[in-house]
Amino acid sequence: MLWYKAWLETRARFLISLFGILFLCSYCVLHLEQEAVPGTLLSYYNYVLTEGYGMLVMMWVLAVTLLMMGGLLREHALGSASFTLGLPVSRRRLMMVRVGVGALEASAIAIIPTASMCVIASIWGKPFSLSQNLFHLVLLLAGGAFFFAIALLVSSVVRGEYTAPVVALGVLLLIAVTLGDQKMRLFSPLEFMLGGEYFNRSSSLLVGPIPWVRAGLWVCLAALLTWVAVRVVDRKEF
Amino acid sequence: MNPTPVIETIGLSKTYGKTDAVSGLNLRVMPNCITAFLGLNGAGKTTTIKMLLGMIRPSGGEARVLGRQIDSSDESVELRRSVAYVSESQRLYDYMTVAQIIRFTRSFYPAWCADTEKTLLRMYELPPNRKIKSLSKGMRRKLALLLAFARKPDLLILDEPSDGLDPVGIEQLLETLVSQCSTGTSIFFSSHQIAEVERVADRVCMIHKGRLVMDASLDEVRESYRQIDLVFNALPDEYELRMPGVERIESRGHQVRMIVSANAESVIERARAYYPSSTEVSPIGLREIFLDRVKEN
Repeated sequence: MLWYKAWLETRARFLISLFGILFLCSYCVLHLEQEAVPGTLLSYYNYVLTEGYGMLVMMWVLAVTLLMMGGLLREHALGSASFTLGLPVSRRRLMMVRVGVGALEASAIAIIPTASMCVIASIWGKPFSLSQNLFHLVLLLAGGAFFFAIALLVSSVVRGEYTAPVVALGVLLLIAVTLGDQKMRLFSPLEFMLGGEYFNRSSSLLVGPIPWVRAGLWVCLAALLTWVAVRVVDRKEF
Repeated sequence: MNPTPVIETIGLSKTYGKTDAVSGLNLRVMPNCITAFLGLNGAGKTTTIKMLLGMIRPSGGEARVLGRQIDSSDESVELRRSVAYVSESQRLYDYMTVAQIIRFTRSFYPAWCADTEKTLLRMYELPPNRKIKSLSKGMRRKLALLLAFARKPDLLILDEPSDGLDPVGIEQLLETLVSQCSTGTSIFFSSHQIAEVERVADRVCMIHKGRLVMDASLDEVRESYRQIDLVFNALPDEYELRMPGVERIESRGHQVRMIVSANAESVIERARAYYPSSTEVSPIGLREIFLDRVKEN
């Protein structure tokens, strides 16, 4: 039933995010092609895949940050933490369920719009590439895991119903600005998600094999941050 | 043989910076009775309860609830299977309906009593399909009480349970407390509502500035506590009147007021040796004792 609680707690935010992103992705597939200039490199792929995924990445990071706001500290700010902590459940289990539900929802917000882009393109007879979509999806989920964990950590450290999201968005901005520099891009999760390093300007496609090692490193870093968040909540006083 | 206490603390302390929220608390709450935990706002009642339930860590001392150590997280989870807690906060999960939170809570307690749930749903007139966020403060408190009572706990810990309830709600609450206790549930509730405590409690523990200032059964209080007012022509030295059982002596002019917790007869006997012109002995209520302890400390 903890899963049920976590779902009820986040479902409004999840559904709004999902349908919002779905709408924008559908718009990209159906309308961005008109922006393409015939005979130039600004092809369908450039607009739909690059622009569409760029938008998806930004919206996904924002949605996941807001989705991960919650948990015991937010309940403490709202006054319901005592009820949760009175139940015969360890804080670790509460956190793990939250991480589990959050991960499922975050994955759904990435996978469903990606799949919908393929489905809509095939229904309307537009070109689409399954392998390119998959490439983008792997980058998005692996790099996104870092942002997921950052949001979880912020919500486990910062008290206050509104303070936590404000701080989390501030941290996002800080990461984007500091690691957005040319020299730092290699360490930027956002750059990794956008796939800049693998992007071929002439074809507007992601090239080369999927960088599984780097993807794994981002996931490991996210796992470490998640572990820190669990420890922080375990030691917190309510 | 004395029964094992359901709550036992030995030198339990909690410090926030330089402030002692709870200081060297030695508490014994016995099973199958209603124990009131009296104290002013900020006396340390909620801090003590939160320590007992593992929500905050003690700075010193130790405690056991239902025989389990409170500072072990595994033990704490186990003890919460047999303990129901209603916090002073009126808030539950706003995004759930009444029926959803009942279903959610029920899933953690195999001994959940469906009869109690139905009875209290009817008695408290709680609409099952209403969202919690749209319930009034009193309704939310009633729902929290329902969720606690229906668990069939061995120990029920309530923090200011009557806050937010109307007189009818308070009456229903007190009746339910008595009936729960009669079915074998030990009850420990914090309050500063002395009238309620006097009505239902078997035992009273008083806390002031984080220290236990009184631990007595209500019968003891009724039988033994007396206020003795004396008028002397020549006032004796206060020291002469001090003896076991004398809790407080207050002199004003030729008048002396004594609060005694035991040996009232012997105290009067001693006082008579100084030839008082008037002696008046009256029983003393919990309210006077409480005010006296708070003033004294």
